[in-house]
Amino acid sequence: MDVRPLRLVFLDLCVLSTLILSGCASRSDTAQQAATYEEDFNDPLEDTNRKIFEFNQVVDRNVLVPVAKAYRTALPDPVRDSLRDFLNNLREPLVFVNDTLQGELGRAAKTVGRFVVNSTIGIGGVVDVAGRWGIPFHEEDLGLTLGVWGVPEGPYIVVPILGPSTPRDLGAQVAEGFGDPWNNLVTGNPWTLYWIPFVRGGVAGIDQRSRYIETLADIERTSLDYYATIRSLYRQRREALIRHQEENLPPNPSFSQRDDRGSPGALENSARRPGMISQAANVSEVSKQ
Amino acid sequence: MMRRSLLTAAFVMLAGALAPAIPAAAAADPTAVISNLGSRALEVLGKNAPQSQRVARFRELLREDFDVPEISRFVLGRYWNVATEEQRAEFLKLFEEYIALAYSTRLAEYTGETFKVTGSRPDADGAVVSSQILRPAGAAPVKVDWRLIGRNGAYKISDVSVDGISMAVTQRSEFASVIQHNGGQVQGLITMLREKTGGSASR
Repeated sequence: MDVRPLRLVFLDLCVLSTLILSGCASRSDTAQQAATYEEDFNDPLEDTNRKIFEFNQVVDRNVLVPVAKAYRTALPDPVRDSLRDFLNNLREPLVFVNDTLQGELGRAAKTVGRFVVNSTIGIGGVVDVAGRWGIPFHEEDLGLTLGVWGVPEGPYIVVPILGPSTPRDLGAQVAEGFGDPWNNLVTGNPWTLYWIPFVRGGVAGIDQRSRYIETLADIERTSLDYYATIRSLYRQRREALIRHQEENLPPNPSFSQRDDRGSPGALENSARRPGMISQAANVSEVSKQ
Repeated sequence: MMRRSLLTAAFVMLAGALAPAIPAAAAADPTAVISNLGSRALEVLGKNAPQSQRVARFRELLREDFDVPEISRFVLGRYWNVATEEQRAEFLKLFEEYIALAYSTRLAEYTGETFKVTGSRPDADGAVVSSQILRPAGAAPVKVDWRLIGRNGAYKISDVSVDGISMAVTQRSEFASVIQHNGGQVQGLITMLREKTGGSASR
């Protein structure tokens, strides 16, 4: 039972590295060509992506939003907050692993502290005691760790149901699913509990979506091109998380180098700064926090 | 005598250069611009304000505190060069209207929460002021950064970022996509902006 998940993780890392390598290859190919607008967005699959995006929108309108609204109506605020805190607490072991892999020992120590305090005094994580003491939950995942290490995100992709992503982030997400200690605990042996990780993922998704019903509806209503807006938001959000938001605004000032001189690639430079990693999570994560 | 007044003048100029934020002009202090804007926005955009008033008031704030021409040029990116004089002028007008419309409702969601300025640092063309919107019960505060351009001692906002997401970059990326899908024609974007603002401008 200790060996199996590890093997699975390795398997996934292989898949992941293949995805990343193909991502790298296509990047350097395009770098040699003159930049076209399509390449500025690094979205070579745009036509397909837009179709999947439309499909996701249909699912969102007809399933996710109604369920999220029902969830918000049925459960009072404190109950939903407890549920979120509980789910966050389950994430802490992987957050810790990622903090450590990034060499962020201070953040890793905070994560351990949060997990110990919330699992005990916080009754298995349903009360975020550590948060009230001034150590809030911070997001971290394998996709972000790879970003910190300088692994390029690859082209933008829209995944059915899951939404915006990149090869790097999607591969990392799958790997984490297999590497998650709780998932391994319940699916280890017997296999009858295999559904638990799916329920967990589903509840987390609905809770997440329920917090952005108005925000996303508003962005959609006012957007001229909702797909392009979400694509930009997703990438900037992932990039901000990789930077750990030490500075909210990206470090190189876009305004002092605005390109009314029309230099080639200027749009690319400010829309996608060097080292900027695109991001994925589901659509709702875009406006998270 | 002459020499003395020259000396005095030089001293005054030097003092001015060393301490640009002397109390005399609040507009010369980027932090003051933001905290001032924050409190006015909260009272002006309150949930109870009717939508039409909200848009009109937001437009006022936009004109006073934001460098709209600079932002317009940035969000058009390289297409600014391609656009004709008339297109630029119309875009400027439509963009201002579009922003007032889009953001007046978006910001209204935050009213009732506490806004506080947390710091500022110098930036290439001016300053970046950091602020937070504190939210109820344990929810992480929303971090809002304001980039300001300083000209002739006055500061105007050129970009706003929310939790690390720049509004100007987002807008620019969206507009570029719209133009691209209209065969690279700026006119396509202008037509869409007309439709978007025309239908709801009077609301």
